[in-house]
Amino acid sequence: MRNEDRERAIVEITGRLVDAKMEAAKQGGVPIIEVINDTIYHEQQRLRTDRSSPNYDDDKSFWRKIQRALPRASEREIKQMLHRTVDHFIREIAGNFNPYVYQASVQLVPVGLGFLLNAVSPFRLLRQLPHLPSINDHMMLTGRIESLRKLDRKGTIVFVPTHSSNMDSPVIGWSIYAMGLPPATYGAGLNLFTNPLLSFFMHNLGAYRVDRRKTAPLYKDILKEYATVSMEYGYNNLFFPGGTRSRSNMLERKLKKGLMGTGLRAYINNLRNKKSQPRVFFVPCTINYQLVLEAETLIDDFLKESGKSRYIIEDDESSDIRKIYNFVSSLATMDSQIRLVVGQALDPFGNHVDDEGESYDRRGRRIEIERYVMRDGEPVEDAQRDHEYTNELAESIGKEFARDNMIMVTHLVARAAFSLLKQKNPDMDLYRLLHTGGDIELLTHKELMAEIEDLQTQLQTLEQRDELKIEPSIKEQSAERLAERALKLFHSYHSAPALTRRGDRYISEDMRLLYFYQNRLHGYPLQSKAAHARAA
Amino acid sequence: MSEQVAVIGGGSWGCALAHVIGSNGFPVTLYVRRAEQAEEIRTLHTNQRYLKDYPLSHNITPTIRLQDAAPCGIIVMVVPSKGFRETAREMGDFLKPDQILLSATKGIEPGTHLRMSEILKAETACLKVGAISGPNLALEVMAGHPTATIVASRYNEVVAAGMQILNSTTFRAYGSQDIVGVELAGALKNVMALAAGIVTGIGYGANTRSFLISRGLSELIRMGNHYNVDPMTLSGLAGVGDLIVTCNSEQSRNFQVGKRLGQGESLNDILGSMQQVAEGIRTTQSAYELAKAFREPFPIIEIMYKLLYQGMSVQEAKLLLLGRPMHYEHEPERVVPKRETPKSLPFA
Repeated sequence: MRNEDRERAIVEITGRLVDAKMEAAKQGGVPIIEVINDTIYHEQQRLRTDRSSPNYDDDKSFWRKIQRALPRASEREIKQMLHRTVDHFIREIAGNFNPYVYQASVQLVPVGLGFLLNAVSPFRLLRQLPHLPSINDHMMLTGRIESLRKLDRKGTIVFVPTHSSNMDSPVIGWSIYAMGLPPATYGAGLNLFTNPLLSFFMHNLGAYRVDRRKTAPLYKDILKEYATVSMEYGYNNLFFPGGTRSRSNMLERKLKKGLMGTGLRAYINNLRNKKSQPRVFFVPCTINYQLVLEAETLIDDFLKESGKSRYIIEDDESSDIRKIYNFVSSLATMDSQIRLVVGQALDPFGNHVDDEGESYDRRGRRIEIERYVMRDGEPVEDAQRDHEYTNELAESIGKEFARDNMIMVTHLVARAAFSLLKQKNPDMDLYRLLHTGGDIELLTHKELMAEIEDLQTQLQTLEQRDELKIEPSIKEQSAERLAERALKLFHSYHSAPALTRRGDRYISEDMRLLYFYQNRLHGYPLQSKAAHARAA
Repeated sequence: MSEQVAVIGGGSWGCALAHVIGSNGFPVTLYVRRAEQAEEIRTLHTNQRYLKDYPLSHNITPTIRLQDAAPCGIIVMVVPSKGFRETAREMGDFLKPDQILLSATKGIEPGTHLRMSEILKAETACLKVGAISGPNLALEVMAGHPTATIVASRYNEVVAAGMQILNSTTFRAYGSQDIVGVELAGALKNVMALAAGIVTGIGYGANTRSFLISRGLSELIRMGNHYNVDPMTLSGLAGVGDLIVTCNSEQSRNFQVGKRLGQGESLNDILGSMQQVAEGIRTTQSAYELAKAFREPFPIIEIMYKLLYQGMSVQEAKLLLLGRPMHYEHEPERVVPKRETPKSLPFA
């Protein structure tokens, strides 16, 4: 948010939240004193373990003061305390966006991947300067880019990308710049700000800080209000609706609706305030990688029963400079592109939107969407109704994700190998198979090629039916060539390859990774050729 | 929102619902297909063909123009499932996003496996959709016998609106958020009603019918599990409630079709002689497709499909159903092997 809007937003958000809480209390909801007490409790719980927090001392004394004063406070003072509490949170969240720094940093991003290398070895950077991998060579932007540019002039955009890596933030940040669009405001985990490399991009590509350790409901309300107000001010926004990186590499099916609902609230407020361009457009994007930077940590976390609830991972590959270097090198030396697909724009109710910003039903008839929220001629909020509208939106985003998910060669080859191994070890459950690699762990060249070829055909059919997208080489290259490329990629970066060749045979040296990459095809109606033949 | 309610469909249940709503004081626009039927309702306030001499509420205004529903705040769809999508699509031309749509049609579309409320969302711009279902035989409702129904929707606003227009001292309306459960139960119970009719037609008594209803409910519950349906919904009005009435009453069309099949008539002859639609026949196809997709045994559904669509005889169907392996009641996979019959008794 620009500095001149930032102060205005802070006042607006604080005012709205305090009024909302006072009103709720008056209507018999939670009394203000309890809201504050609850917040103190959550914050103190956090501070007990979160000693490394950059504001540890300030926070501690702030909450102690509030706690001491609260029991003796008058009603007016309690209201002031609520005000101070909201203000305390909001100032930490609202980043300091500097348009000059933004301009400077996005100029640098085109050589951004090379820039990352700089941190590893300045000498290498100097030596290799002319040959540095440029993001231009490794990013492919496809989909409805022109439509997106037009929509940007018709209302506020909310980008909702898939999330599989910490690389997603710089990738989408750069993509938005490359498409000639203004920076999007987005909430990024505090842990991303502690990594010096990513933090640079975060700060300057419009991010505001979200501290996931802060669990007080009031803090979450403030985050939502921040997003709402920024949209009302016309700032494009960005959320990862999956909430967190996909641990399994499966496409996100369950989406978080909390932040998504802010688009509808902003739209209703815009209608109320009679804004000339009240509309909010959700633009699903898929970010597709041949290799995922943090694949090993993510899949480990997924497979650990206890790890499934782990939300914050601090010690993954994205905090290891050496790993980032290896990853970037593999991007540079392989033809490993990151492909971003810009999807069909949607309104806050999940309907398709055309380039002019008009909504259409599934039969292509124009919809007067303001009527979704009108009651007796006035736009009104209705928490339950709006929650369901957001569910409709989430469902539509999920469908667009599935349609725009681009299958890469690593996914295809991993799928072929994994389904063959599963069939060869029919009595093993998934966990045992992943753990042991199977009793029969070798695949012949012939069977793998047959399986890849068959998948190529099936995937092309699905693409023709507009059910997914495939990397162009899957259509153009032979199974042999695809396998060769995938194996080269698997060897290039991970510590053990998901699949490797030994003479005429193939074996997985890391079954978890094989499983991880093939998961991108989860949920599509694909059949294994070998299994089919056996059944026949 | 306009107080005017539209009911689309002038069959027995459509007219009865229009009557219930009209009797509660709401002006009702009733869409019927035939002009003479509209004329009869307008002038005589009856619908002889479906509802005998029962007098209809004077608050009902019949029409043969679908677009007359356009200004209505609440629209109740009661057309056969076969023509449901087409009618919804036609209405999509004039419906607006603030209108509330309720489906009183019970069925699942073959091929797509969509429920009726899902078809409404697919064919119109309306999102506020709901379903009405329960043990509601049209003639008994017209006679004023007390009964109850469920109005289900994910939108509280829709549930409230539906309950407000329907509830009366003889027709009690309950609300539910489990629209999937309500619609699924409403559709599948018609398959069970066909089966219950068959055993009655063969001449079996209450034991057999009760056996069939219970095992039918078990299939309903297992089907519901695939959709995360609340089991309480299935034990309520739209589930057990509706199942009991349709599997026992001579007034139920599906039961009637089943009974005549059980008595040896052919399906074609039965359908040729009927004025109204037995939804269970079409739903059997959808249910069978679902059973195949879920790869789980649904014996009654599967046998009903074979009987209706693959020419299996009632006798064969009976043998197939009763000859299945023995298993625990709620664990079909827990099979108990058959014991060899002793060739001759020792010391005999």
